[in-house]
Amino acid sequence: MSTKEQRERIELLQGTLDLLILRTLILGPTHGHAIAKAIEFKSDDVLQVEQGSLYPALHRLIKRGWISAEEGTSENNRRAKFYRLTAKGRRQLVLETSKWDKLAGAIARILRPSEQEGKS
Amino acid sequence: MRRRKRMLDELEQDIREHIEMETQDNIARGMSPEEARYAAVRKFGNVTRVQEDAREVWSFVWLEQLWQDVRFGLRMLRKSPVFTTVAVLTLAFGIGANTAIFSLIDAVLLRSLPVENPAQLVLLKWSARKAPNIHGMMSSGDCPMDMGGGLFNPNGCSFSEPMYSEIAQANIFSGTAAFANTGKLDLTGNGPASVINGQLISGDFFHTMGLKPAVGRLLDASDDTPAAAPVTVLNYGYWQSAFGGSREVIGRTIELNAVPFTIVGVAEQRFTGITPGSDYDVWVPLSKQQKINPLKGMDALGGQDRQHDVGFWWLTIVGRLKPGTSLAQAQAVVSGMFRNEVLHGAVLLFPGGKMGALPIPRAGGPSMAASAAPPAAAQLAPGNAAIQMHGEGAGGPTGQAAGNEKTQFTMDAQLQGVVPAAGGAHPTETEAPSAPRTLATADDNPQVRLVSAQSGLSGQRAHYTDPLYVLMLAVGIILLIACANVAGLMLARAAARQKEMAVRLALGAGRARIVRQLLTESVMLSVLGGLLGILFAYWGAHTIISFLSSNQAWPLGFATGVDLRVLGFTVAISLFTGILFGVAPAFRGARVDLTPTLKEGEGSSAGSRQSGGRWFSAGNLLVVAQVALAVVVLVGAGLLVRTLQNLRSVDLGFDAHNILIFGIDPTLAGYKAAQADNLYRDLQGRLAETPGVNSASYSMMPLLSNGLMITMFHWPGTPEDQTAESDVLDVGANFFETLHIPFLAGRGFGVSDFELAAANSGDKPTSAPTPVIVNQSFVQKYLGKENPIGKPFGESAAGPLGAATPGYEIVGVVRDAKYNDLRREIHPMMYSPQHAGGATFELRTAADPQALLPAVREVVGQVNGNLPLFNVTTQSEQIDRLLFQERLVARLAGFFGVLALVLACIGLYGLLSYEVSRRTREIGIRIALGAQPERVLKLMLWQGIALAMVGAAVGIGVALGVTRYLGSMLFNVRASDPLTMSAVAVLLALVALAACYIPARRATRVDPMVALRYE
Repeated sequence: MSTKEQRERIELLQGTLDLLILRTLILGPTHGHAIAKAIEFKSDDVLQVEQGSLYPALHRLIKRGWISAEEGTSENNRRAKFYRLTAKGRRQLVLETSKWDKLAGAIARILRPSEQEGKS
Repeated sequence: MRRRKRMLDELEQDIREHIEMETQDNIARGMSPEEARYAAVRKFGNVTRVQEDAREVWSFVWLEQLWQDVRFGLRMLRKSPVFTTVAVLTLAFGIGANTAIFSLIDAVLLRSLPVENPAQLVLLKWSARKAPNIHGMMSSGDCPMDMGGGLFNPNGCSFSEPMYSEIAQANIFSGTAAFANTGKLDLTGNGPASVINGQLISGDFFHTMGLKPAVGRLLDASDDTPAAAPVTVLNYGYWQSAFGGSREVIGRTIELNAVPFTIVGVAEQRFTGITPGSDYDVWVPLSKQQKINPLKGMDALGGQDRQHDVGFWWLTIVGRLKPGTSLAQAQAVVSGMFRNEVLHGAVLLFPGGKMGALPIPRAGGPSMAASAAPPAAAQLAPGNAAIQMHGEGAGGPTGQAAGNEKTQFTMDAQLQGVVPAAGGAHPTETEAPSAPRTLATADDNPQVRLVSAQSGLSGQRAHYTDPLYVLMLAVGIILLIACANVAGLMLARAAARQKEMAVRLALGAGRARIVRQLLTESVMLSVLGGLLGILFAYWGAHTIISFLSSNQAWPLGFATGVDLRVLGFTVAISLFTGILFGVAPAFRGARVDLTPTLKEGEGSSAGSRQSGGRWFSAGNLLVVAQVALAVVVLVGAGLLVRTLQNLRSVDLGFDAHNILIFGIDPTLAGYKAAQADNLYRDLQGRLAETPGVNSASYSMMPLLSNGLMITMFHWPGTPEDQTAESDVLDVGANFFETLHIPFLAGRGFGVSDFELAAANSGDKPTSAPTPVIVNQSFVQKYLGKENPIGKPFGESAAGPLGAATPGYEIVGVVRDAKYNDLRREIHPMMYSPQHAGGATFELRTAADPQALLPAVREVVGQVNGNLPLFNVTTQSEQIDRLLFQERLVARLAGFFGVLALVLACIGLYGLLSYEVSRRTREIGIRIALGAQPERVLKLMLWQGIALAMVGAAVGIGVALGVTRYLGSMLFNVRASDPLTMSAVAVLLALVALAACYIPARRATRVDPMVALRYE
């Protein structure tokens, strides 16, 4: 990995990992490694998740009752823990998504004019 | 919780699985297995931290961090044992003193009545605009009584027995209990005769209280009828001490005042009495009152027996509210009954308009008439509930009755002359209250209020309330000093730990976390102090209670001990203290400026310049506060000690040394009045001849025993309706010679005087006035320059108010002497020849009075083996007993004052030591530059002394504001006594000088070479 490559990857904002996990699980229950892969893949590898940090986040979501864990078998026939979105988690996802949209919109509105100033 | 454990257990497996999958993916991308694994692990990150983070998700973070803080704190405390010891000891003193005093307050003021469901119990209290026109009012000391000077808003909680019966039968309460003190009971049938204290109770008493027997059974309604066989129930403590707790005691017969009573049971252990501080040995049914006190009070005066006498108020009434009945409802009913009884009953107790003209007894407290009642009707002055406790002369109902002869006769006149108008003529307010023969008036507004028995039955509590609150204030201040002291230590320590804090902050610790950790440390200190304090408190409370008990003739029925409320108090106060003294240092500690602190060494000159010049530094303020608070406590203590000294040096008017006193009451053993007189004279003669006794006499009660009698009479030459009053004491022959009270004029009593007094107090008074001896004050007030000897007074002619009485004639004048207590000014006083009743003997001895006691007992035994002596003591002890409250308070306040001073000085010493060590380098430079040791000494001393002076000035200012509240406890010293103030200031200056000298001295010994290298 070159330094340049590293610079292009962005550290996750606090709390957004939870949102991404919930979003990933809406497609169906899956295991931890798959979640990490999915987040990296879908963000075109821009978002850098230190894969380990996924697990405390998963535990946190279980504690809050937004996801549940169950035993399952992975694609290459290994035993693994599968995480499933609960009804409560689904509601939370809707809520968090709309909050995120508002936040992103607001930040974008603030940033855009300054960008133009910089160009002129 | 189980989910947490499963999740964490499986986490490791999950991580391994994850890394395995990633490795497989990497291999699939073409890496070598080792490379693939390495990349997977690297991509996963720190496994341990992931596990920690996951654990944190599940844990109660604060709890685990608290545990960390506690462990770390313990290590820190162990690391500096001197600091820890000083701080913990200081706090233990502060918390312990508070807990001790609070446990006393708890025992005396707060503890709930030892009965079932005490919240339901209510006490009946009456009040009115004017005193009721009754002839007997007696309080057993259960609740305060105020006759309002006879004219203004009197109130009390004594009721007549007919009133009680009516209320009990009305079924307002689920249980209605009435009770009164029996007075002294002469007990025989269990070893040598002894005198015990009992309580008369209605049959419903134990049922109302919801009590159970420890052994046997308790009294019930069937025992409380005139026909029932006399039975008694023992107090648990008395059962243990007098009968060794033997179960055989049930069914045994004992004699109380020569009446056989069968013991049927023992009350449960927790119940020592319904009123705080009371301690009754036995309970006997109310209906047996006539039997055990046959000759007493009104009964002896030819009045009705109490059972049917609406004009004799003597019972305290407590009811248990029925579930569903509100206090207001019950009160309305009871109050209505009371109004009806006193305004419209067969005997009108509030006759409209008549009262104002009547000579109403001025007094308040438990009233009593001497058995020698007419013409010297008498009563105890207000505030003498203690008479029951000391039991001198007239403990409770043994010698009551009351009021004033004229009042009594007025009442009789009404009985004869006034026929109540057909029961229910409700007079309206428009009827002139002054109209003669108006039967009753609502203007007097007699009513009954129901108050919770818990607060209403104050008993002995009233005597301890003020001193306890003063002491609580003192120990509260001590605690503040202790807090300031430890806060100062913590501040110094926080400064020393700045580097540690800076490192922690630099490593990313949150400031909140650091504050919390420092607070944890201070709370730990205070909790340790609290633990030690409980021991200290237990010991202290025990000491105080035994000191109290050693001063009582009767045992004090206050149970002390560390109960839940006290423990709760201690826990609360420990936490509070920890936070109080910890919060400033904690914030200081967390407010460290990182860079300079990390760069510089401890004790650097730069640091000292920064804070050394600040006069308003936290450390200085704390020391000033400590000194000021200590001054407040010291001034208070000084005033109380001076009060005690003043009381001790009061001129008594007689010689209190080498006097043995003991009480004896042959009437309890069935002696008739004349027999008692003979016995006294016989005893007096025998005792006077006993080797070692210089002189012997007797009086109705001893001097300075808190007992007081006052009589009313008419002084010749004054308007007919004006009454004069004088203290009065019945005395035997040779009383003045024995007590060394010198005669100023006239003579003492001779045999014929006693005969005349006896005759005049009988049914057919002679025409000759009773001879009396008066004191100087009497002469000054009533006679002026007139020759007192031979002066007659107090004569009353026969009239509608009663038969003629011959009055008195002055035969002698003696020097003023104190009567009931040391604080009361000497009033006009007359001594009359004693006739009948109980007596207290006074023996003037050549040497130690106590040593004569066996001989005295033998002499009394020769005359009658069944006459128990009671209240055996010496006059000096009697005075000590009288002063016990002052002595207790002075001693404790003195102790706390010294404690406060010591703590403040430790604070001063600590601050200065810290300053010296912090400024070592500066001092080293000064010395290196040629400063003389004296100058260095002065430099350091100056800071300490200046702080002490500021503190003392502030303290005296505060003390001036606070000591006003001590006013009622002081004697012959003003609350702003300049002598006490300056003595405290000087004492403080000296002690502060000593406390500062040691560290200042150390500063002069600073070796400049060492100091400059010091880093």
